[in-house]
Amino acid sequence: MDSIFSYLNPDAPGGATGPHAGMKIAVQPTIGIAGWPARAGSEALAGYLSAGSATVIDRLTQGGAILTGLTHASELGLGVDDTSTSGRAVETKTVHAELMLDMAGEARLSACRGNLWGFKPSWGRVSHTGIAGLIPSMEACGILAQDPATIRSVLKTVAGADDMDFSQPRLDYKEISADEIKPAQFTLSVIGEAATLLSGDERKEFDEEITGLKRYGFNVRTVSWPDYNLCLTVHRIVGSVEASSAAGRYDSVRFGRRAPGTKNWNEMYLQSRGAFFGTLLKSYLIQGAYFQFERYDAYENACRIRARLLKEASRLFEQTDVLVFPSQKPAQPASLDALYEQFKLTAHANVTGCPALYMPSACAGGQGLEFAAGYGADERVIALGEYLHRQRAGGKL
Amino acid sequence: MEFEAVIGLEIHIELNCATKLFCDCPNNPGDDANVNTCPVCLWFPGAWPRLSRAALEKAALVCLGLNSEIQPESAFDQKIYYYPDQPKGYQLSQGHLPLARGGWVEITDEDGSIKRLRIHHIHMEEDVARLVHEMDGATPVSLVDFNRAGAPLVEIVTEPDFRTPHHAMEFLKILRTQVRYVGSSECSMENGTMRADANISIRPVGTNQMNTKVEVKNMNSVRHVGDAIAHEISRQSAAVRVGETIKEHTRLWDPDKKATLPMREKFEAPYIPDPSIPVIEIKPEEIAALRSRLPEMPATRAGRFVKEYGLSAEEAAYLSSEPETASYFEELIRLGVAARTAMHWVSTQLLPALRQRNEGLAHTLVTPKRLSELLAMLAKDEINAAAARDVLAHMFASDVSPADIVKARGLGQVSDTGELAAMVERVLAEQAAAVADFKSGQSKAMGFLIGQVMQASAGKANPKVIKELIAQKLSM
Ligand SMILES: [Zn+2]
Repeated sequence: MDSIFSYLNPDAPGGATGPHAGMKIAVQPTIGIAGWPARAGSEALAGYLSAGSATVIDRLTQGGAILTGLTHASELGLGVDDTSTSGRAVETKTVHAELMLDMAGEARLSACRGNLWGFKPSWGRVSHTGIAGLIPSMEACGILAQDPATIRSVLKTVAGADDMDFSQPRLDYKEISADEIKPAQFTLSVIGEAATLLSGDERKEFDEEITGLKRYGFNVRTVSWPDYNLCLTVHRIVGSVEASSAAGRYDSVRFGRRAPGTKNWNEMYLQSRGAFFGTLLKSYLIQGAYFQFERYDAYENACRIRARLLKEASRLFEQTDVLVFPSQKPAQPASLDALYEQFKLTAHANVTGCPALYMPSACAGGQGLEFAAGYGADERVIALGEYLHRQRAGGKL
Repeated sequence: MEFEAVIGLEIHIELNCATKLFCDCPNNPGDDANVNTCPVCLWFPGAWPRLSRAALEKAALVCLGLNSEIQPESAFDQKIYYYPDQPKGYQLSQGHLPLARGGWVEITDEDGSIKRLRIHHIHMEEDVARLVHEMDGATPVSLVDFNRAGAPLVEIVTEPDFRTPHHAMEFLKILRTQVRYVGSSECSMENGTMRADANISIRPVGTNQMNTKVEVKNMNSVRHVGDAIAHEISRQSAAVRVGETIKEHTRLWDPDKKATLPMREKFEAPYIPDPSIPVIEIKPEEIAALRSRLPEMPATRAGRFVKEYGLSAEEAAYLSSEPETASYFEELIRLGVAARTAMHWVSTQLLPALRQRNEGLAHTLVTPKRLSELLAMLAKDEINAAAARDVLAHMFASDVSPADIVKARGLGQVSDTGELAAMVERVLAEQAAAVADFKSGQSKAMGFLIGQVMQASAGKANPKVIKELIAQKLSM
């Protein structure tokens, strides 16, 4: 099998028409395509073929896009590890865009790993239907591409109300183009608390990236979000609780795998549950079950804090157009703590549901930046990205 | 020491919606196994629940019918527990924010007084799959049928207001009537569309203690609920008398052994808010619109039957216990049948005949219109009561008009005095002994003589006319 793809589309692409005619798409196997394997990187779903296509897939193929194949996913899409090939198909220019789950930052982290643009839409902006996620209240279908304009065009097609997804909030989304970005009137703010999480060298690099933005005429200031670090704590508790339920749906038995050597049907069912999950995912789910059964009070508390964080974030966006965060390339997560280390600069957008765009660094070896906008202002971060991308293409650094 | 019981009920009612709670699959659990399934009710990866508007409305009507207050905001939770009939590991239920709070049902207590039994809350939830264990073959197999998975349920949780098995049984009967009235469910314990679990504890009479409760399940008739509670009260009382402590657990009612048997320790599942189903917001005007759809409820209707039609309280309660019966009765009246005649024929002829034929009012050929035609012939003395019963028996099988049945079977009543006078003359001559008895003051002899003339007329004579003729002849 291909080193990037776990499955290649057996059908030769036809002469499709539409806004995406000729556009090649790679898909993470957490996103259903009717009749294709949908193991989502997990042994528990090894034999499962998708019963239907996700709404995002239907919309893109109706728009003429070509599905090239399925990538290799980390188990159930959680985190970015060495088994995952997310971003590699775009990086090697095998495809124009790639769809993958972003539950804690995975799409943006994969983009960072491959020096690509990576976007997580506002929660519910894109239909969840047909996407097998772990953290329903935080996950979104992420988009990776070589440039922000491609992300905008894919988003335009896949976003919007879907009769199959009742959870989508009905919001008016405002179109903003790159031409509307006037640096002098556009406020960018760095969260001081996020910047302090960086080591000395990382901090220096981040400051250089910020200096780059200032050179384009943007006024970048530093603001304080005292509770910023609670985003990761809330994600850790609420996310793992939701995941414990969501992964519990993959009982193995219905998907073809059974624990061997059990005495009776009841024991077979019980033993098969979770038996085929990997170590890291298992410890994540056990953490969630712990909060469900032993520390429900901590879970309730985390939900209350989350509501407060949402309010704090929307207050921040009353005073700034876009928040700017540093980024870090993800290291192989050997433990749960290492997994959370990946998310410390990305989880905020999943906790608040805000849109976030990763922009690769203009300098070789740079870590790049992440832009976040208020809930529903997806096009604002994309327009900023397009503006900066143009400036860079124009040779201005 | 005398003990009294403290009892609360948890009642599950399967709503009679066309589709399941979170998908468009037909809500027909009895169909061939696993035909009514889709990625949502099989909980395949990527499937998101979509709450059925029809189920929400039917559930809300149940709440209104039981005087429960619909909440402006309610929400679904994941009730976390695993069982092979619930393979996704959680059941969607409303643990924190139920659809409605409060409510009550009024019953008649054993001493005839009215007792109000309170409802704590009413919530919606999905049903689980059905496990089928086939033990007959060479290899026993266990199968799962998902037709029932995701079927819409409401659960009614009462306050611990009940003290006796009578309270529980009456509550269930009235609840069933009210829910049938609002049209949300058939509420048949026998068919499993209504299931009741009881929480029972005991305490010394006159105290206010809340003691450890035991949950009893698996009663599939109202009678069994009464029996199971009675058994559990005496079992617990006996245990406490010999110094045993009651431990919280769940027991199953065994109708053959007439006893409750321990099943397992009671397990409290945690409830986690479900992020995939939006909060349900119901505005006051939507509640008002639903309320306007409520039919006249049974107690109100029975009261009106007493006032408007002069029925006794028992007759009115009987006729209004089923909405179809009450409507049928009123339709007969609208078609010109006298109230007492309508009451009498519906309760003593029509309903028993339907029961015997295993038919319902909804589908019988004996429509109110046809029955009213028959009863009009009876009122006009065109046929007698015996003939009318005979005609009714034929009306179940075909939609021939009652008048044609009367003609075809020659059941028209003979009221012609000339023809009848000759018959009376002949009978009086043949029955000299009875005539003598009547003349000596034995009025019973009149009935015998009328019967003889009826027989002579092959049942077609008008008994009123016969009576008049006999009286006339014998007084001469
Ligand atoms: Zn279904």
